Amino acid sequence: MSALDRAAGRNPWINRLGWAALVLAAGVMVLPLLWTVGLSLKSNGELLRDTASVFRGPYTLENYGSILQRAAVFRWLANSLLVSLCTTAGVLVLSSLAGYGFARLEFPGRRWLFALVLFGLAVPEQSVIITRHQLFSALHLHNTYPGLILPGLAAPFGVFLMTQYFKAIPVELDEAAMLDGASRRQVFWKVLLPLTLPAQATLGIFTFLASWNDYWWPLISATRSEMFTLTVGVASSQINFAQTSGLGFLMAQAVFASAPILVVYVFFQKYIVRAVSGAAVR
Amino acid sequence: MRRLAPLVLAAIALALTSCAKKPDVTQITVQRIFGECRSAGAGARNPDGECEIITGLLDQFQRENPDIRLKVNIAAWPGYDQLSAQFAAGDPPDLVTMHMSAISDYQSRGLIEPMGPGLRSVGVDPAAFTRAAREGVTKNGQVWGLPFDNWAPLWHVNMNQFRQAGLVKDGRPILPTSADELLAQARQFKAATGKPYLVQAMANETASYSRNLYTWLMTQDAVFFPDPKHIKLTTPEAHRIVALFKTLHDENLSTRDQDYPAATSGFMNGDGGVYLVGTWMIGAFEAESHTPGRPLANGYAVVPYPRLFGTRDAAFVDGHAWVMPHRERTAEQRAAVYRLTRFLAEHDYDWSRTGHLPTMQAVIDSPRFKALPHRQAIAPLASMGQTLPPRVQRQFAIQDIIGDEMASAITGRKPIDTALADAERRVNDLLFHLL
Repeated sequence: MSALDRAAGRNPWINRLGWAALVLAAGVMVLPLLWTVGLSLKSNGELLRDTASVFRGPYTLENYGSILQRAAVFRWLANSLLVSLCTTAGVLVLSSLAGYGFARLEFPGRRWLFALVLFGLAVPEQSVIITRHQLFSALHLHNTYPGLILPGLAAPFGVFLMTQYFKAIPVELDEAAMLDGASRRQVFWKVLLPLTLPAQATLGIFTFLASWNDYWWPLISATRSEMFTLTVGVASSQINFAQTSGLGFLMAQAVFASAPILVVYVFFQKYIVRAVSGAAVR
Repeated sequence: MRRLAPLVLAAIALALTSCAKKPDVTQITVQRIFGECRSAGAGARNPDGECEIITGLLDQFQRENPDIRLKVNIAAWPGYDQLSAQFAAGDPPDLVTMHMSAISDYQSRGLIEPMGPGLRSVGVDPAAFTRAAREGVTKNGQVWGLPFDNWAPLWHVNMNQFRQAGLVKDGRPILPTSADELLAQARQFKAATGKPYLVQAMANETASYSRNLYTWLMTQDAVFFPDPKHIKLTTPEAHRIVALFKTLHDENLSTRDQDYPAATSGFMNGDGGVYLVGTWMIGAFEAESHTPGRPLANGYAVVPYPRLFGTRDAAFVDGHAWVMPHRERTAEQRAAVYRLTRFLAEHDYDWSRTGHLPTMQAVIDSPRFKALPHRQAIAPLASMGQTLPPRVQRQFAIQDIIGDEMASAITGRKPIDTALADAERRVNDLLFHLL
């Protein structure tokens, strides 16, 4: 028993048990990922006969080669990046402004309007998809970047999150800044906005991930190959019965499509953990 | 500067003229499924694969027709979410692959054009199609697409195990001619090999259940669609088919709880004698039969479903077709579309290398088609194959409902009659609510 444990009155066996449980849970979580990567390194023919061949060689990169041989894949990658970044930026700007307005400004119908925004959280995408599709069709926005980005900008969760965050910041900070002669714009921009960075990071990460992984809207809005996002593009590349006859290629596509997200995770790990644990919202 | 002005104006005028000049290349958009890959040739993943062959064909057409620019859109299988969205947005492709079983969904809403006259104008006579293909694209007396292939579920046989079970005569599998005979042979097979007679994908799978039912209802001449808006499944004909599969399941004469990939690799690894799956797997199993040491080595055969019930030779088939969505297009584009359909019809044999049945009778009868492995055995499907009645809509959804209820009956979660009654009620409800 360490001095620290003794001082804290902790039983080291409970600690070790806790660690063992965590390692086990982590193993359970990581196994499907390893399985996916393993399958992606095997030939389709071998996997058709026996998926257990993943435990023995030979391994190959031919599935990744097949993906990269298609020049369009880089276009799809760029499309996904552009759409996800623009959506994220748009959501951050709009949600911050709306959150500040709801938290700090008094205007007629504020509560009703906020309730209306919250109502948006309860409306599933499926229920509005046909109307939205028709609207975008009438505006000739299908197969365009605005067509892929605009629906993502309606983010009631973002408005809610930012409103709560602004509310948690003491009003005295605004008042002190105003006493020093700052305008409302300066208070927002120079005093409050920097304090909301943890919430911005949380919202940004969630928005980016959701936009990157979105499949349904791009599938029906971007129907021309040059406008596909990565999710739609890789799905269109699959042969029929891919799960049987093209399993290795299918898994390589999954790894390829997930790789940028993993990079995002590595860089923003701290914020993601905070966001998931709710620590970003005070 | 004043001297330069006329020159600048002339340059602008020239540029505008060249911009306004009509392009001498006609662009058409072709949308297809079958995935993305390199064409058949050196380094191709599978030279006889659907993806490789269609890629090669469209590339060849593009090379041979420089006055047409093919814009090829590849949709994720089965492609109908995208296609419906394109129709809703008023931007459908010029030519698109469609299952024969889905044509009625689009034709009934006026979304696709009849193609009979256009096909005839380029020398593709629908009379030259096989019976199964012609029926698959004909609705209300009109031809709504160019049939590209027919496919059907088949009996893929592990001849090595059949031989071990004493079920081979003159080099051919001994097949049952009745349900009782099937059960007897399945028991004999299991006693001799220790393996189940049938390999079936029964988990996360609805299509194979429905296709089994359709085929043996057809052999009994059962009228299970008295009209396109009603199905009749609470019949002795349907009951006896489901009862057979339940007995096979209860006596462990069939594999259990396998999904499609597991059943496929199971058959390749010798898990059972007969695998019920479609034409598209012939190539993969044939390749196994030429691989020494594998369970199917020198021991693979494939045949249409044996007639266990009734007196008629029939088999449920579906197929892929090329259809032409309604949209504004120029005369040049229309001509380009039909030139492509003629090219595809002329290359019917090339597509049949996938394992699917050709749709031109002349190809079926040709020596080169018959020379392909096992094609002689399955060629009768071109004449005995039968789709569901042409005006029945939502065939994919119907297949799911029937498969779902049949699975419940076969695995014992519901009595057979209850499951069939539920299937009938659910399908009729679906068809009643069609607009």
